[in-house]
Amino acid sequence: MEAAQKMAAEKPGFSEYDYSNFYYGAGDDPLNLLRPFADWYRDARPSGYYLYQEALGSAPTTHVRVKNGKTGRWQDLFNLASYNYLGISYRPEVKKAAAEALEKYGLGASGSPILSGTFDVHEEFASELARFKGKEACIVFPTGYSANVGFISALMRSGDTILLDQYSHASIVDGAILAKSKTVFFRHNNPLDLERKIAGVKGKKLVVVEGVYSMDGDMCALPEILEVTKRHGARMLIDEAHSTFLFGPNGRGVAEHFGLDKEVDFHLGTFSKSLGGQGGFVAGTRELIDYVNAFARSRFFSCNLSPVLTAGLLAGLRIASSEPQLRAKLWSNVAFLRRRFAEEGVDIGKSNSQVMPVMVNNDSKVLSVAEKIQDRGLFLNPVTYPAVPKHKSRLRISVSAAHTEADLEAAVQTIAAVLREEGLCR
Amino acid sequence: MSITRYGYRDAISGFFEFPTDNARRILPRGTEPVEPHHGTSIFAVTVFDFHESEVGEYGEVVYAVIVPPLVRDGRLPKSAFFPWQVATTTKAARQHAIERWHLPHWMEDVKVDFARGEGKLVARVEAGGTPAMELTVTDHSWQQVSHLYQSFQTDESGSYMANILFEGEKSEHEEETGKIVLHDNPFNQDVVVSEVYDTPFRELWMRNGCQLFDPLVKL
Repeated sequence: MEAAQKMAAEKPGFSEYDYSNFYYGAGDDPLNLLRPFADWYRDARPSGYYLYQEALGSAPTTHVRVKNGKTGRWQDLFNLASYNYLGISYRPEVKKAAAEALEKYGLGASGSPILSGTFDVHEEFASELARFKGKEACIVFPTGYSANVGFISALMRSGDTILLDQYSHASIVDGAILAKSKTVFFRHNNPLDLERKIAGVKGKKLVVVEGVYSMDGDMCALPEILEVTKRHGARMLIDEAHSTFLFGPNGRGVAEHFGLDKEVDFHLGTFSKSLGGQGGFVAGTRELIDYVNAFARSRFFSCNLSPVLTAGLLAGLRIASSEPQLRAKLWSNVAFLRRRFAEEGVDIGKSNSQVMPVMVNNDSKVLSVAEKIQDRGLFLNPVTYPAVPKHKSRLRISVSAAHTEADLEAAVQTIAAVLREEGLCR
Repeated sequence: MSITRYGYRDAISGFFEFPTDNARRILPRGTEPVEPHHGTSIFAVTVFDFHESEVGEYGEVVYAVIVPPLVRDGRLPKSAFFPWQVATTTKAARQHAIERWHLPHWMEDVKVDFARGEGKLVARVEAGGTPAMELTVTDHSWQQVSHLYQSFQTDESGSYMANILFEGEKSEHEEETGKIVLHDNPFNQDVVVSEVYDTPFRELWMRNGCQLFDPLVKL
C-alpha cells in the first residue's frame, strides 16, 4: 500500500488537524479545501468546536441564556465571556437613549458618513469622545476592525514600513496589508527585538502596539517600546480596544496610565468592549482627523454607524466618564479573581488586566474542559491553536464591573474543580 | 516502484521566520510560500540521523521553505515543503536522493554531529571543513504519530511531488526554547542570515521512527 493510501485508510482523528490546515492548498480549484474542511468539521463540531458561536437568547449581562451548540437546549449561565467590562450596554439610560433615537431616526444611517449618513448625534458623540480623550478631534468608524484597517491604510503607503507586535489583532495586520507597506513583526512586547528590526529602516515608519493584548491580557510595555520608536524617528499607534475607559486616572487608556498620552502619536479604541456596543474611533489633532476622514476607505465606503447605536454609545460614554466607581469596581473584581485563582493554583499566565486567560496548556483537553465547565453553569471562551501557540490553549475570561464577588467565587470554585478533575492543576 | 523506507533515530526540525522576499528568491515561479504573518515566511531546517536505508546509515540536513500542500481526492497532508538544499554525510546517500527524488544537493559530504542533553538535541553541521549551522531543538510531550507530508521538487527535468509518511514518536511545541546559529559559510548563501529570526517559533522532534516515501509524482 502506498504511504498516502495508508494515511487515507487510517483516517486521523479530528484533533490531528485544526483551522490552520485548511487555509492553504495548492491546486487549480479554489474550492479544493471545502470537502476536506467539511469532513474535518463534521467530526470537530460535536467534539467541542460547537462551543464557538453559541447563540445567546438574552442581554449580555452577568447571567445569560445560551443555546447549547450540541443539544440545542437553552442553558442559564454565569457570563464570563462577553466583553461589557463596565456593564454599561444594558443600563436603563443606554437603552432609553437608543429607544428614543430609534423613534427619532429610524433604524440606520442610510448612507456613508461622508455623504448622507452623518447625523447630529454622530457629531455630538465624536465631540464628547474627543473631550474625554483629551484630544482636539475624534473620528468614529462602524467597527473596531474598520478603524484599524481604515486608519493604517489611510496613513501608510507602499514603500513605507509598519512594525507590528507579533500578537497584533487581525485588523492591524489587515490594515498593514491594505497599506501595501513593508510589514515587519517584532517579538511580543520586546523592545530589544523592535530595536533590531527598526535599526537602519529608512523612510516613513509606524510602530503599532495594543494597550492590552486580547489573548494574554497583558499590558503593552509602552515606555520601553515608545523609547525605541521615538529614537528611530518612527510614529506610534496604540490600539486601546481593551483598555479605553478602563486604564489611567481618567480612563483614557494605557497611554494615560503610563503618563505617555501626549507622546503617543495616534490613539485608537473601540466601543464593543468597555461600552458593550459596536464601533471604533481614532482620536488626535484636527488635521489628523480631517486627513483620515478623507482617506480611510473602510469608513468612507461603509454605511455610518446607526444613529440608534450612536445615541446608546453617547449615553454609555457619559456613564463611563461620570462614574469612576465602575472602574474601581472592575479593578476590585480583577484583584479578587487574581488572588483567588492564585490560592487555588490556577494559572492565569501574564495577565495584568480584566482579560484573564485560565491556562489549560493542553490542546487536546481544552475543549472538553470548557464543555464540562459550561455544563456546570459558566459561559466562557475556549481558545486554542492557531489563535494561540501550540500547547498554550486556555479559557478566556472577561471580568466585568457588574460581577459580584459571590458569583466570581462560585466561578473560581467550579473552574478549579474541573481543572483538578482533569489533572490540570494541583 | 514500492514505498522507500528510511529509518531514523532522531529527526529534528526548527521553523524560523524569515522575509517572504527571501523565500520568493528561493522558490521557483508559481510556488508560493506559506506566511504565518503577512510578509513573513517559514525557513524550515531539519537534521536527520538515519540508521536504516538502501544506502546505509547517514546524516542529512534539509533547508526548505514551507509551501501549501496539494489537496487532491480529499487527502489532506499536515503540511508541505520545498527543499532547496539537501546535504548528506555520504556520497551514496547524495546520489541516491538525486536520482530517486530529484532533490537539489550540496555536492560535498558534510559532517553532522549530534549532542544529546536533558530534553534537547543539538545538531552541529560542518560544510567545507568549517562550521555551517547549529540547530538546537527541545522536547515537550511525546506521542506516537503517523503524519502525511508533501515535498515538492523542481529540476531541469520538471516538477515533482513526493508523499511522505512520517511515523514514530513526535514532540511538537512553540515554547521558543530552541535556537539556530547560521555561520558565515557558503552553505547558507541563499538566506540573508541577519534576517532569519534565530529562535524557532515551532520545534519538532521525531524519534525512533521512519519515513515512507511513495514513488515520485511528476506534476
